[in-house]
Amino acid sequence: MPPAVTDSAGEYRGGAEAPGRPLYRRFARDEVGVIAVLVVFVAGVGFFHPEFLHSGNLLSITHNTVYVGLMACGIVFPLAMREVDLSVGGMYAMCMVVGAVLIRDGLGTWVALIAMLALSALLGAVNGAVTTYMRLPSFIVTLATAMLFRGAGLALADGKQITDLPQSDSFFTVLGGNVAGVPTAVWVFVIMVAALTVLFTRTRFGARVRAIGSNREAAEFSGLPVAWTRIAALSLSGLMAGVAAVFSLAFFMAGDPTVGQGYELTAIAGAIIGGTPLAGGRGSVVGAAVGCLILSAVASALAFFQVPINWTTFATGGVILVAVAADTLLRRIRDPRPAGG
Amino acid sequence: MLAASGLVKHYGGVAALDAAGITVERGEVHALVGENGAGKSTLVKIISGTVRPDGGTIELDGRTVQFANARQAADHGIAIVSQELMTFGDLTVLENLFPFGGPGRLGLVSTRAMERLAAPVLAELGLRVSPHARVETLSLADQQLLEICRALLQDPRVLILDEPTSALPREAADRLTETTRRLARRGLAVLYISHFLEEVLRVAQRVSVLRDGRTVLAGEEISAVSVDSLVTAMLGDTGPAPAARRERAVLGGSSLSLTGVGVPGRLREVSLTAAGGEIVGLAGLQGAGHLAVLDAVCGRARPAAGSVRLPGGTVPRSPRQAVAAGVAYVSGDRKGRGLMLDQSLWENATAVRRLGLGRDGFVPSRRRLVQRTERLVHRLRIRGGPYDIAARLSGGNQQKAVLAKWLDADPAVIALDDPTRGVDVGARTEMHEIVRDLACDGKIILIASTDLTELVDVCDRVLVFQRGRITDEIVGEALSEQALSLAMNAGFAAPS
Ligand SMILES: Nc1ncnc2c1ncn2[C@@H]1O[C@H](COP(=O)(O)OP(=O)(O)OP(=O)(O)O)[C@@H](O)[C@H]1O
Ligand SMILES: [Mg+2]
Repeated sequence: MPPAVTDSAGEYRGGAEAPGRPLYRRFARDEVGVIAVLVVFVAGVGFFHPEFLHSGNLLSITHNTVYVGLMACGIVFPLAMREVDLSVGGMYAMCMVVGAVLIRDGLGTWVALIAMLALSALLGAVNGAVTTYMRLPSFIVTLATAMLFRGAGLALADGKQITDLPQSDSFFTVLGGNVAGVPTAVWVFVIMVAALTVLFTRTRFGARVRAIGSNREAAEFSGLPVAWTRIAALSLSGLMAGVAAVFSLAFFMAGDPTVGQGYELTAIAGAIIGGTPLAGGRGSVVGAAVGCLILSAVASALAFFQVPINWTTFATGGVILVAVAADTLLRRIRDPRPAGG
Repeated sequence: MLAASGLVKHYGGVAALDAAGITVERGEVHALVGENGAGKSTLVKIISGTVRPDGGTIELDGRTVQFANARQAADHGIAIVSQELMTFGDLTVLENLFPFGGPGRLGLVSTRAMERLAAPVLAELGLRVSPHARVETLSLADQQLLEICRALLQDPRVLILDEPTSALPREAADRLTETTRRLARRGLAVLYISHFLEEVLRVAQRVSVLRDGRTVLAGEEISAVSVDSLVTAMLGDTGPAPAARRERAVLGGSSLSLTGVGVPGRLREVSLTAAGGEIVGLAGLQGAGHLAVLDAVCGRARPAAGSVRLPGGTVPRSPRQAVAAGVAYVSGDRKGRGLMLDQSLWENATAVRRLGLGRDGFVPSRRRLVQRTERLVHRLRIRGGPYDIAARLSGGNQQKAVLAKWLDADPAVIALDDPTRGVDVGARTEMHEIVRDLACDGKIILIASTDLTELVDVCDRVLVFQRGRITDEIVGEALSEQALSLAMNAGFAAPS
């Protein structure tokens, strides 16, 4: 489905001066929906349970979102070019274990941090390279590497948590701590959302990602570096899993090879709720972040309404369906007949 | 039997249709013509139930009908072959022919029964492909014929053909017009949209003209019109003044050369050179190899033997290298190879220079890009603005947008493959004039076209291909449609 820009055809007929602010309008249309859903939902829950609105609770919801949220923001890039990355959950767990092992074995914590980031970016690039040069769908490649990564993490950690880490090291106190009362991870999340938004909407790389997602063959004929862009996009989504792993390790002070099960699907769900369709061609980093926030807010609200914990997954499924359906419906109302020509 | 009247359709503030109507009788071929963006496709989309009108009525056999979707129109016996291809590339020919499942018992589909039903229809239109071939492996022309077969297999009472011959080579187009007339004689009502006015005069009994969404000529007898009178009706009084033609000289210097190029299954030892300022045509029957030359120049087909040298000495090994070396590829397959349909015109028009070549600096200013697009919109007279989504432009205007994005990149070699597919007569002449202008500026131009008159109109010389080899070269004065047709078919028992 084309973007929901309904700038009427002939207002600009024959190359007349284009009025209006289509950039603003497009931005507003694409993200305002999810943001409104989040605000209304939070306010609605707060109406019944005012404690829900306490800053401590809102902050903890946000903090809980950070890890999946970072992955969702990264995954927007492969999704927008009609690829998918199912390996981020496994990548996240493996990077945490690798970081923990390196630190335990006496490597400097900051060196370990760089190693984690480099490893995740590199393995993401490997996903992209295998997809490109073996001519396989990224779905299949990353499905396999997801297991490879998680398996490597399990083997490295011998199936157990790695806990004997120097907890007073500045790595843990700074990255796992607070800045101005807000977890460092949340600050980094906000900065990452902003940076990736700029990367996605303002740079040539972002535009290439969208162009390839829109029509790969036309992009190839237009001289776009399709292979390179695919590798970079998958590398980026891997890197974001690595960033999530760094902050997760710093906060939990343990490397657990079993964390992040199903995070890849939550991240994809968040991205889709935020207006990045699987069909490619467009996307929104801000939307993906907000989509993940909605999912966490729902999980937290369920606790407030004393819904048994075992129903959370069920409810999350429901939210994804409702959110995606509502979004599609809204677009259809605004734009009844997208096809033309 | 089919009468539509007072049809109105607005998109945003613009009227795509404004009091348009048409009546088609049983047993006639009724042609509908008009400029790009006049509203022809919108009109037939309304009749076939894919677009809901804002006003107006449709009557079928005297009864007013309203279609909520295409299926309902199909149930009333209305079949449409739309302008843009609607084939399913991953499916086989047979599966495409029977999108609703086809014949069979107990919900099981019988391939044998499908083949039996399809065979005569495929034969009638001369579509010689395996029923089990995947459709994305078919040429644009064959896919077009496939869609027409699909419509015929619905056994319709009203058949709507929206520019069915725009992608067809001459023989296939002739066979189609023959078939169309035969179907009408069998009692079908046919509504036929085309930009080829001679073809319209040959195939239709009556003709209607749309201009800016209004019917300005309704059901005129074909004997009462001529190409000129149709053009006048289409354009109104404001026919474009023919521009003064610039003198052109073939420059020496940088040239494009192929030496002994072989591409397995497509080209055998082809050598040719094209100099700056020259317009070289490439002609041949389907699969003759002329299109493989364009692919080789664009870096799509890697020669197994010989070499392709672009001006400046580059050997294109990928489309990206070719584009970087200044090769443009203007394709008639605008949906597949040309446009990002879900993005705006400015994003499309600036795509090559901005994203392919990366000549615009780190963060191109949107304002500048839009201004550049506006200039192109003006130059090519595209009906639409920079912010319009490409999918919403009319077919002919989309085709102009493909040319626009390559003009924006200022290429040195321009490979054209059916560059004016679906473009109206006036705009076609203008596009040809632009091609000549580009040649005057010293560009090297290679052009292939299913429409031989196009080659005759613009080319200095035409290379004729058969079975992967150049078999003939027709130069200057000797260039005519007959000469081309003869050379393309020479040596074959019967023209096929
Ligand atoms: N979905 C849409 N949204 C907005 N405008 C549209 C849409 N579809 C068509 N239009 C506009 O309606 C007008 C008529 O388009 P239409 O496709 O009917 O033209 P046409 O006569 O078929 O032209 P062509 O010969 O180029 O195919 C055009 O200006 C086009 O931009
Ligand atoms: Mg049309």
